[in-house]
Amino acid sequence: MERRRFPPAIVGMLACLTLFFGVFLFYPVGYMLRGAFFVEGKFTLEFFRLALASPLVRESVATSFWLGVLVTLFTTLLTLPLAHLFTRYRFFGKGLLGALLLVPMIMPPFVGAIGMRQVFGQYGSLNLVLAKLGCMDLARPIDWLGGGGFWGVVILETLNLYPIMFLNVSAAMANVDPTLREAADNLGASPWQVFRTITVPLILPGYFAGAILVFIWAFTDLGTPLIFGLNRVVSVQIFDRVSDVATNPMGFVLVCIVLVLTVVLFLVSRRLVGAKRYEMLARGHTAGAEVVLRGWPAVAAVAGVLLVVCLSLLPHVSVLLQSFAQRWFFTVLPGEMTWQNYEQIFQHPLTVLSIRNSLFYSSLSAGVDLVLGVMIAYLLTRRKIPGAVVLDAVAMLPLALPGLVLAFGYVGGFNWDVAWLNPRNNPIVLLVIAYSVRRLPYIVRSAYAGFQQTSISLEEASLNLGASSLRTLRKITIPLVMANLVAGGVLTFSYAMLEVSDSLILAMRENFYPITKAIYSLMSRIEPNAPSVASALGILGMILLTASLFLASRVLGKRMGQLFRAG
Amino acid sequence: MNVTLQNVSKRFGATRVVENVSLTIEEGELFFLLGPSGCGKTTLLRLLAGFYQPDEGEIFFGERRMNDVPPNRRHTALVFQNYALWPHLSVFENVAYGLDVRGIRGAERETRVREALAVTRMQEYAERSPAQLSGGQQQRVALARALVIRPDVLLLDEPLSNLDAKLRLEMRDEIRRIHQQLRQTMVYVTHDQNEALSLADRIAVMNNGRVQQVGTPRELYREPRNRFVAGFIGEANFVDGTVTGSNGEHLHVRTAVGDLTVAARRRAFHPGQTVTCAVRPESVRADELRNPLSVTVREVAYLGSVEQYVLEMADGSRWKAIESNPYRVRKIGETVTMGVHHKDVILLED
Repeated sequence: MERRRFPPAIVGMLACLTLFFGVFLFYPVGYMLRGAFFVEGKFTLEFFRLALASPLVRESVATSFWLGVLVTLFTTLLTLPLAHLFTRYRFFGKGLLGALLLVPMIMPPFVGAIGMRQVFGQYGSLNLVLAKLGCMDLARPIDWLGGGGFWGVVILETLNLYPIMFLNVSAAMANVDPTLREAADNLGASPWQVFRTITVPLILPGYFAGAILVFIWAFTDLGTPLIFGLNRVVSVQIFDRVSDVATNPMGFVLVCIVLVLTVVLFLVSRRLVGAKRYEMLARGHTAGAEVVLRGWPAVAAVAGVLLVVCLSLLPHVSVLLQSFAQRWFFTVLPGEMTWQNYEQIFQHPLTVLSIRNSLFYSSLSAGVDLVLGVMIAYLLTRRKIPGAVVLDAVAMLPLALPGLVLAFGYVGGFNWDVAWLNPRNNPIVLLVIAYSVRRLPYIVRSAYAGFQQTSISLEEASLNLGASSLRTLRKITIPLVMANLVAGGVLTFSYAMLEVSDSLILAMRENFYPITKAIYSLMSRIEPNAPSVASALGILGMILLTASLFLASRVLGKRMGQLFRAG
Repeated sequence: MNVTLQNVSKRFGATRVVENVSLTIEEGELFFLLGPSGCGKTTLLRLLAGFYQPDEGEIFFGERRMNDVPPNRRHTALVFQNYALWPHLSVFENVAYGLDVRGIRGAERETRVREALAVTRMQEYAERSPAQLSGGQQQRVALARALVIRPDVLLLDEPLSNLDAKLRLEMRDEIRRIHQQLRQTMVYVTHDQNEALSLADRIAVMNNGRVQQVGTPRELYREPRNRFVAGFIGEANFVDGTVTGSNGEHLHVRTAVGDLTVAARRRAFHPGQTVTCAVRPESVRADELRNPLSVTVREVAYLGSVEQYVLEMADGSRWKAIESNPYRVRKIGETVTMGVHHKDVILLED
């Protein structure tokens, strides 16, 4: 066969991508691996032996692991009935309730933690109410967030992460051809048998995709344990090693443990599920696959969903209350309400700067992602390039790569004399790129879907009339996939706004703080109204994120869920 | 098991999808529900399977009233239009499913699955996954999965509509063979009149939710009751007329294309009554001397085995005629005389 030649534009794109991934993905990971396994050029497992011998490390890994397992378990239990309800039934207010279920995503859980401490703390609102009702003695308060904050973290992460599980599971359920269930029903299976033998195996791939995301997020979440003071977890331990990254290899070892665990999980789930990724055969057309609920069942359904919504909005409500609080000590509700906290965030140099920084970084990272995402999706869908599988896998890799790991690698790997690349001097480039890399899978997927939905013959018509490839891309293809790009871009932007671990680790100097780091730094001040100002800043972030997610969902419609799936 | 429907009606919102249907399907019969899309035939089938409940009327399997029996207690087996094979189970497991939920295990399970796969000639594919099969093979597995539970009634929902033309003919023969071998009561839904005519013991022709006529293929073709049936099963030329007289053996009808003498049938017509006459294209023949009609040839289409004409009749209306492998080529514009046998003029109710 004749050897294919590629136009220079394609070669250029491939070179750019190789360089980008090489420097910002593989180099830092490789740097950490070297740091963890090599001493003066010699391979050693000594560090790992030391780490595993340390009770602190062992406890931290175990705690984080349990955190991940419990959060995954609870989100599953919460989500399965919800997804069943939303895919099989129609009831009053379904659209609105479905949207409300996704609201928890608009706030990183560590912001919610600030408010939750106020409500569920030992002298928080709940205990005060109970004391007033005479159910509890304030001298011996109930510790709702018991276990040194462990359960607080579990609750917050569950409430924050279940929407991701919900999107995955309900998409998987909706994808199961109703005639497959009918066939089982027809052959005599009871509803429970149908669920167990047909529905569960068929939704398993979708479920795993969501479960792994949830597990990894919970396992590596940094902000929430920090706020609750739960320090004996892997993420906080890694965070504490940032300052002595150059001298102490323990940070690398911890990161490697996280990395190995996530990679193993991904591989195991691929093994379990990947082989059974079912191409649905020809779909049946059954009218009325959704059963309409009326009367008491409808009331019960709505009440159940509302309960979940209310529970999951508790952190948001408490943050909102906190943000208006002048002072809030030993009272059920804040003693005095005020707008001052909001005024302050627009005056205080730290907060003003952080808002400006966040907007700037996020826009830049959305831009970087758009360029990279379009390139990758274009190469994958429209060009037969060698190593397409590899490119696809690399672009999806950040899903398995916790932000914590990447950021730590950047701090270690870019300790160079080049000022604009060293986060100790100027974190802008690395922050923007860290945000971009982490969200790249979403935008690639979004653009990929757009390209696939657009008939290639439209481009061929343009080429046929004499336009160059590049001109065709610019004039025909991109306008046609614009909706998907906008949605993906908005999503990248909004998640960059509220990215926690990257920001906490990489932004080291106050004038470069983004919003999340500013919130964290406010929390550690001793000024009495610091939590309130932090909350106000959190609310502002929520408003920004809500607006952008709303925009994205308008454009993407039901395909929104596809963006939150792994593998 | 015989199946009886009494005055069954089903509505979806304001639309009446099935209206006042009464039918009896005999034990061992291959019974067809035939009609255009949207006529209610699939709804009727799903009423039998129990996926829908009738708003009015009653459904009996044998003596047992089935109205409130859920689908999984009906012991029917439905072959879905898209086959609905479970992609996570092998062919064997798909077929065994109905036995598994009935608690049939061990050797009997094994034998019955093998038997069902043998009947549908799919023995060698037992360990494959459905995705590895062609459309025709998937169809056979769906059939085996339904047969293995020895259902009271086997329901088939347009089972051949997703197959290409050649496979469709092949599977048609298969279904006939299986029916003759097992004498299983089957209700078969289709919009394809050829499928129905070639396979059915009896057919119910449906339109707009109502049963238009029930009969054997021959009855439906030879003696359609109304315009819809005459036009849906085969083709027909229609002309309105008035009965002018009868002599017991024959009726005389005056129509715009000429006077017709019609062989009298079971139904009585009296002089002065207005009727619609239907004539099949192949009944309009050059070698037939009865009922001579003067016509002008307007279009000729050569189709190999037959030659098809569009004829202009005395009143200017156009009829279709088919001549089997003619020796003589007719030219456009030629005026000829064609005849129709007394028995080939069908008098309709509407």
